[in-house]
Amino acid sequence: MYIERHMITPALTVKPDTLLPEVKEILTSHKFRHLPVVDHDNRLIGMISDRDIRSAYPSSVLEEEKRRTILDEVSKTKVEDVMGSKIFSLSPLSTLDDALHLLSRGKVGLLPVVDEDRQVIGVFSVQDLMKAYKNLYGIGEKGSFLIALEDDGQPKPLTRIVRVLEEMQISFSRLSRVKGENNKNIIYLRVQTFNINLIHKAFKEIGMKIIKD
Amino acid sequence: MTHFNPITLVSHKHYLEHDTGGGEHPEVPERLLAISEQLKKSPLCPVLVEVDAREPERQDVLAFHDESYLYRFEETALSGKTYLGHPDNQICFDSYQIALLSAGGGITGIDLLENNNADLVFCLVRPPGHHAESSLPLGFCFFNNAVIAAKYWQKKYEREKIVIIDWDAHHGNGIQAAFEEDPSVLYISIHEHPTFSFPGTGHAEDNGMGPGTGTTLNVPLRPGSDDTVFLQAMERLVEPALADFRPDRIIVSAGFDGHIKDDMSGLSYSTDLYEVIGRKMAAWASQYCQGKLLSILEGGYHLESLAESVERYLQGMAQTTQG
Ligand SMILES: [Zn+2]
Repeated sequence: MYIERHMITPALTVKPDTLLPEVKEILTSHKFRHLPVVDHDNRLIGMISDRDIRSAYPSSVLEEEKRRTILDEVSKTKVEDVMGSKIFSLSPLSTLDDALHLLSRGKVGLLPVVDEDRQVIGVFSVQDLMKAYKNLYGIGEKGSFLIALEDDGQPKPLTRIVRVLEEMQISFSRLSRVKGENNKNIIYLRVQTFNINLIHKAFKEIGMKIIKD
Repeated sequence: MTHFNPITLVSHKHYLEHDTGGGEHPEVPERLLAISEQLKKSPLCPVLVEVDAREPERQDVLAFHDESYLYRFEETALSGKTYLGHPDNQICFDSYQIALLSAGGGITGIDLLENNNADLVFCLVRPPGHHAESSLPLGFCFFNNAVIAAKYWQKKYEREKIVIIDWDAHHGNGIQAAFEEDPSVLYISIHEHPTFSFPGTGHAEDNGMGPGTGTTLNVPLRPGSDDTVFLQAMERLVEPALADFRPDRIIVSAGFDGHIKDDMSGLSYSTDLYEVIGRKMAAWASQYCQGKLLSILEGGYHLESLAESVERYLQGMAQTTQG
């Protein structure tokens, strides 16, 4: 669950005095959309995105002379003049859930990961988050599928489910309980077997019903 | 009185010796026994011709499977281990040989179709095949019987364009993997939605890759889907795809686990549906392939429904070409 196991390292960063054409080149050649900006001690001081860069460049509908003037300015502009300084960041001990929360709250595509000294030690993107959850939930894993069970209302349903699955040596990768319609809880789990007889037997033994549609 | 066209059944008594360990395992020899019992008392009985499957040549199996996988499978079986890869894939000492013989079913059937005037061939084989990949056993499958058959048909008889129609309740990931980049084989699978069903593959978005883009058709159905939903999908999606592709030969991956009584899927097909499917498959064979139709048994685990559904499938198939 910890970001340190899922982040991308080392992080590519730029210095505050890097000029915009160079940043643009880095973003394009790596197909990145965001870069952390760090000071000379590798401490996070801002983020620069392709959007920041795009708005600094002249619009193509401008007349030639004006365009040239702006381009001339851009080529001398430093990152620190256009970077965003209101930044969200993660720590190595942030969890995937923390990252999900921050990515959606900050409406950003990538978060820098910093240590206690605010030095950038990695980055973590929406894509990385999707990959991590995909593994975590066993989605797309060949040989597995999702089962939905109706909670029988008896005590400790999850404990009973896990116990019987483990006893029958049926491996599973996700177990979650959500509120369904009519206040009934539905329990989802992803199992890795084709021996559905065994699964039926397991759930019959503890009185759980498989929901078929 | 109904007239039935002859059907050749390809099978082998050794298929009964693939031992999946008893207990709760659904893929048992009784599956084949239930079918033959049913057919013995069927009105179809007089038109059924039984033929023994032969072993395939090693090269026929290697046309899809890795040689290292063959060695691993053989060694594992001979060493006395009870499963290959995942505990689902139970084996016994003779399972390697029997799985080869199972792959030989389709090949035997093809020879009969091409050389012996047979038109309708049904291979009563086990273990099943459509989940097996080139070096991966999966879901009780070891060798991919349908893939091996398709490649044999192309190579030996130069039947270039093959369609594999797979209406087993589960997606045939192994068949898809074999042909997803190959435009000469159209793979059509109608199965329960992959989120809720083994093996979790076969999304509608997967339609082939590279030169094979467009020659994979996945039709996932919601759990609970019945005959009507199935037949609508056939009409709206499968028939146009076939008309477009114009196959030289048809292979049917015939699995019967979509039956409402079969717990292996959440689909709700009736026994009657299989007769309709039989008629359709034979009609398409007449339309595209001079009436030649090869069907290979895949899943189907509720013994009574399996036996009845196979009988009805054969009845539907045998009725068609007259009139
Ligand atoms: Zn199946």
